[in-house]
Amino acid sequence: MQTDTAVPIPFLAALRPARWRHAGSNIWRNRIFYILIAPFAALTLVMGVWPIVLGIIVSFTDSYTALTPEPTYVWFQNYIDIFSDDLFLSSLWRTLLFTVLSVVLNVTTALALALILSSRSLKLAAPICGLALFLPVVTPEAATFIVWKWMFSIDFGAVNAFLEDMGLPDFAGTTKPLQAFFTLVFVEWWHHVGFYTIIFLTNLKLLDPTLDEAARMDGARTMQRVWNVWIPQLRPAIAINSIYAVIQFLKTFAVVVIMTNGGPNYATNFLSFYAYSKFNLADYGQALAMATVLFAIVIGLAVVVYRYNEKADYR
Amino acid sequence: MKTRSVKDRSVALLAWVFMAGVTFLFLYPFWWMIVSSFRSQEAMLLEPTRLLPESFNTRAYGDIQTLGGVKLWLYTFNSVFITVAATLIAVGVTALGAYALYRKPDLPGFRFIQFGFLMTMMYPAMLLVIPVYLVVFQLGLLGTYAGIILFLSLMPILFLMLVQFFRSIPKELIESAKMDGASEMQIFRKIVLPISKPILATVFLIGFLLNWKQWLPILVIATSPDQYTLPVALLSMNTELGIDFQATMALAAITTVPIIVLFLFTQRRVIGGFVAGAVKG
Repeated sequence: MQTDTAVPIPFLAALRPARWRHAGSNIWRNRIFYILIAPFAALTLVMGVWPIVLGIIVSFTDSYTALTPEPTYVWFQNYIDIFSDDLFLSSLWRTLLFTVLSVVLNVTTALALALILSSRSLKLAAPICGLALFLPVVTPEAATFIVWKWMFSIDFGAVNAFLEDMGLPDFAGTTKPLQAFFTLVFVEWWHHVGFYTIIFLTNLKLLDPTLDEAARMDGARTMQRVWNVWIPQLRPAIAINSIYAVIQFLKTFAVVVIMTNGGPNYATNFLSFYAYSKFNLADYGQALAMATVLFAIVIGLAVVVYRYNEKADYR
Repeated sequence: MKTRSVKDRSVALLAWVFMAGVTFLFLYPFWWMIVSSFRSQEAMLLEPTRLLPESFNTRAYGDIQTLGGVKLWLYTFNSVFITVAATLIAVGVTALGAYALYRKPDLPGFRFIQFGFLMTMMYPAMLLVIPVYLVVFQLGLLGTYAGIILFLSLMPILFLMLVQFFRSIPKELIESAKMDGASEMQIFRKIVLPISKPILATVFLIGFLLNWKQWLPILVIATSPDQYTLPVALLSMNTELGIDFQATMALAAITTVPIIVLFLFTQRRVIGGFVAGAVKG
């Protein structure tokens, strides 16, 4: 058991092709790593790879037969169906618009918040602010989204009570299409911006202080230092946060289910929500065709951003 | 110099006021939730933003002792049991797998496992639930704790944190042990495991927080409210069980407050872990 070097048996070994002999002994020598990885591999295969492959297969089958032992293959029919479905196309554009808006909003405000929090005059308050910002990241979204849903309610929501106290007109919240869309942009921002802020804060602490000192000696004003010294150094953090945000907001789902159910009048019918509602109607073929499209978009964007980022590093 | 310091001070004051407002925006919903759970519906309608309840009306906490025919303690037990079990499995399985992949990324088959894992990470997590439903159905695990726990124990973010940590172990540590004739098993048990204890604790904590939040996989894999956790019960209250506002806020508070307390006590570890997982090399 304990011998890690394979004992060479010249006669037997000669019978096997060299490459296989090499691979076989390599595997045997490293059997401990195969044992260590086995549970992880099994879990990844059963709960990751298998569902993904099955999802793609089911997207090529007829929904009524998808769960039977011998499903009927309709090939690209589900894809043709969803791409001729106006609701799907509009949900696709809506999701992309929401993602672009949210990524820009979250990354810029997180950067601004991190810059303010790292300033010397906020040394005492910064830890408490940081905690408050991060709290929505760890608390159950089922609870926080329900609370926000009620906060925006016309009758006893806190939002409209505040607006009335300040003499401002009521905000329709989730009851009108356009307002509902921006309510979700806001609530998703509230839910995620703390994560991006903390990433920026950590990176700000790692900046080279001598560059800032030099700029200060040269008489650069605060805004000049932010633009010309800090932000260029934060480029990798901005890239990482943007990638995370793109993937995050493309998948926006929970907030829709909990706060608006896709309404009113489909104004918040995002891609993943639409796929899920197809799934609830047992329309597995179309649901998984949509999931596959979203999967392809996520992979495509991740590759593009990654490539761009790699190129930018070599400038 | 003097005018500058006056200007600096007013900028500082502005920053203070602004951040106080932001902090308020992030904490107020939690406060509103807790206060509302102690106020009657009538009182809420009159004065939605009162900062303290006029009297501690605990009716709602009594009313939610049974929800949808299931006792509150069963939802609570499910939450604790499913979260702890799934997180323990996730930490064990992911730590071993991440270690093996970090040490020998080029062994036959390992690239495939890494690739499969990467794909799983990219697949929209919420939508993965749809094909997972089909897989769990084929495995005959619908409506079982096993089905729920198995799916929840696949946690990509833990993998990123663990790999990040293993990369930070000095190579010389392992090389010198090898020179001294230690077997891989000995290296793992005597060197890697002891220094991994803090990261395992961090990763467990974060896994716990993330699994406690889960609701969609449980809602989809469970076949009856008997397997629901607190967040799932809360959501079914949001839709199926009518709109008792005060009771909803009470259950939301029960779901959230323990997590807030846990987070406040472990914030350094939790935030540090999230950052380490996100800023991967």
